[in-house]
Amino acid sequence: MTSAEFLLWVRGPGLQIAAVIFAFGIILRFFEIYMMGRKKNLSAKRASGTGAGFRTIAKRFLPADSETMRRSTFTIVAGYIFHIGLFVTLFLFVPHIQLFDALTGISWPGLPMPVVDFFTVISMIALLALMWQRLTKPVLRMLSTGHDHLVWTLTFLPFLTGYLAYHHLFVPYTWMLAFHILSVELLMILFPFTKLMHAFTLFVSRWYTGSMAGEKGVKV
Amino acid sequence: MMVDISNDASFREALLKLEPVDARIVGGKFVESVVPLADDQRLRRIVDVASSREATEEELEANRKLAKSIMVDTYTRCGADGDWNEQAGYFVARAAAACLSPSEKGKSGGPAWQAAMSSRMARTSAAINSGDGAESESGRQYHILSDYLETRERETS
Amino acid sequence: MSKPSIERGINALKEQIDAPIASYFSSCVHCGMCADACLFHTETGDPRYVPIHKLEPMRRLWEQEYTLVGRLKKLVGLSKKITAEELEEWQELVYNSCSLCGRCSMVCPVGNDIVYMIRKMREGMSAAGYAPEGLIGASTRAVEIGSPMGVTIKAVEAQVKHAEKDLGFEIPMDAEGAEYLVLMSSMEIMNYPEYLQAVARIMNQAGKSWTISSEAFEATNAGIQIGASDIARILVQRIVDAAEKLKVKTVISPECGHAYTAIRWEGANLIGRPFDFKVQHILEVLDELRDQGLLKTEGSEDSRMTFHDPCQLVRRGGVVEQPRNLLKMVASDFVEMTDHGIMNWCCGAGGGVSANEDAHELKLKAFNRKKKQLDELEVDALVTACANCRIALEEGLEENEMDIPVYGLTEMLAEHLVTEQPGKEK
Repeated sequence: MTSAEFLLWVRGPGLQIAAVIFAFGIILRFFEIYMMGRKKNLSAKRASGTGAGFRTIAKRFLPADSETMRRSTFTIVAGYIFHIGLFVTLFLFVPHIQLFDALTGISWPGLPMPVVDFFTVISMIALLALMWQRLTKPVLRMLSTGHDHLVWTLTFLPFLTGYLAYHHLFVPYTWMLAFHILSVELLMILFPFTKLMHAFTLFVSRWYTGSMAGEKGVKV
Repeated sequence: MMVDISNDASFREALLKLEPVDARIVGGKFVESVVPLADDQRLRRIVDVASSREATEEELEANRKLAKSIMVDTYTRCGADGDWNEQAGYFVARAAAACLSPSEKGKSGGPAWQAAMSSRMARTSAAINSGDGAESESGRQYHILSDYLETRERETS
Repeated sequence: MSKPSIERGINALKEQIDAPIASYFSSCVHCGMCADACLFHTETGDPRYVPIHKLEPMRRLWEQEYTLVGRLKKLVGLSKKITAEELEEWQELVYNSCSLCGRCSMVCPVGNDIVYMIRKMREGMSAAGYAPEGLIGASTRAVEIGSPMGVTIKAVEAQVKHAEKDLGFEIPMDAEGAEYLVLMSSMEIMNYPEYLQAVARIMNQAGKSWTISSEAFEATNAGIQIGASDIARILVQRIVDAAEKLKVKTVISPECGHAYTAIRWEGANLIGRPFDFKVQHILEVLDELRDQGLLKTEGSEDSRMTFHDPCQLVRRGGVVEQPRNLLKMVASDFVEMTDHGIMNWCCGAGGGVSANEDAHELKLKAFNRKKKQLDELEVDALVTACANCRIALEEGLEENEMDIPVYGLTEMLAEHLVTEQPGKEK
């Protein structure tokens, strides 16, 4: 198989397969959550939980208080650098925007290449830092499983391969681009079956927690 | 002149008028009345110190701390099988700590009054199992106080 | 109550898993931030006490039973069964190193209500027979005698008689049509009997009609602490029956954190129908009286004091401002701990920890968090509104040779009640 054939495959059938599994997987996971149901709260509520749930979705983007920020600084800072970097590289990089445009017809302005480049690098540094913490901090050493390391790898590869492709490093561009797209497809296929689902389910979790607390009149 | 103490209002008033040393000693006498209800023998020694006019600051402080520590040791833990006879010991320790504590904020009436209240609780606790009904420790306490005041009158006149 | 077994345990656990829990387990990214919020971890450094880890058996059960991937894994023999040995190992994590304080739930970045899950995990643990001795005893006593500490109605009557003597007026018992039904906790009846007198004096001054019930004097719910909903239900039903029989408008939960959670937030769900009476914590009632001008106090303490927030009352109960409003009536130098209100730290003894002999050493270590909070403030006195917190604080202060008195808020308010006009018959 030539590099061109490989690239065509990952861009075509590969992407289609990944997209279908991704979509099916996400729907499945949501179904698995909501099928469990939830008993109605019969106690006298102080306030409606609905609005409180949405407030918590927004509020939880920030640490609970300054003490939490102080105690979990590394995780919060590295975590945010990574997530912001993810957002920038995924959604504000012109070639990606062009892809979304081709798929959906919607487009938006991107950031200059050097800026995206910078965010790519700091995202990778953040990921490496988080992996370092996961391997050295006692709590994380005890908690972590193969799953955590797999997910880290799935997340890291697109950044790495994308950076290498853009800069034409190591292997010819066509191959690197194909690897990059393949790594994203791998991520998409496994995404719904890993903790990466938090990207979607955190909205559900925060809402439940916020609404239960809101019914008691507590703002969480 | 016999001071007439026959109810809590006059009792409390008279206790508040006491000099700190007298408050301590009278408080100690209240505890002495119920100390047989406690198992911990150290409480008897504490009561002796509390009732002694010659006790030094260091002795008093040491015994106050000891009484507090016995109190914390003898409360009934949440969810534990409560024993009212043992609980009496807790109240005795509480009373002992109270009479040795200088006027505590948040607790009005003074050390002697607090000691009296806790001593009454000790008596009630001990009576629960025997079913004797809440015995009148308060009556005994009125006597203790009026006897003490009489004796002091005679001593100082 | 049927005999515990691993099968019963697993079934009980399965029943507890609902949509929120499925969402929570789906969202956890193993960030470990919950550990930084849990005093059992921060004061020991023991990684096993990270809150989410306390739930591992439940997580695996959820995965194996309620996810496609989990069931496929089970099919091909790739999943690890939940065993009795594992639950036995988890007993320490679920009961000794957790007071159900809920601080973990406040910091989880993906929004998991971790303590919600631990409460439910206990249902499985107790059904499997892996709950602490002390709690099992307390639950049995609660059901059979009416109090987890074996306090009988005879003892309550003796305490009531004593109180009436000191007060100079009667305490209503089983008075039908009273506005308030006052519950007590065994901890208060045994260790702080002044509480009843304080409530009596305040209600008397405010002119409110109230009563205690000979059939339901106990507010503490050992069923909640051990995680046995059938027991919890029996205990709540007693209160509901008495409240309905006496036709009261409001049931008052005493100064006990978990008692409030039990009757206020779990009660209706346990018996399966809404209450037709209100439930309020004593501080809610007192704050209402204050607001209506019916709580008249005089004088105030000038010593520097702070408030320890009972977790179940404040963070998990929503009664946040009331203690502050009330304390400010009688304290002129009130300072807040740096972490206060819903972010305050637990005393370390709630949720069954203090009833658990095995947890004694760990509880004392956990107290170091509170010690540090107090060292920072340099206060002369500590006020709180939960009898168990009070004992835990006194014990911790004693252990650390800190000479700071601890006061109950209701008693403190009663101490400052405006006295009768001179000349009035007492």
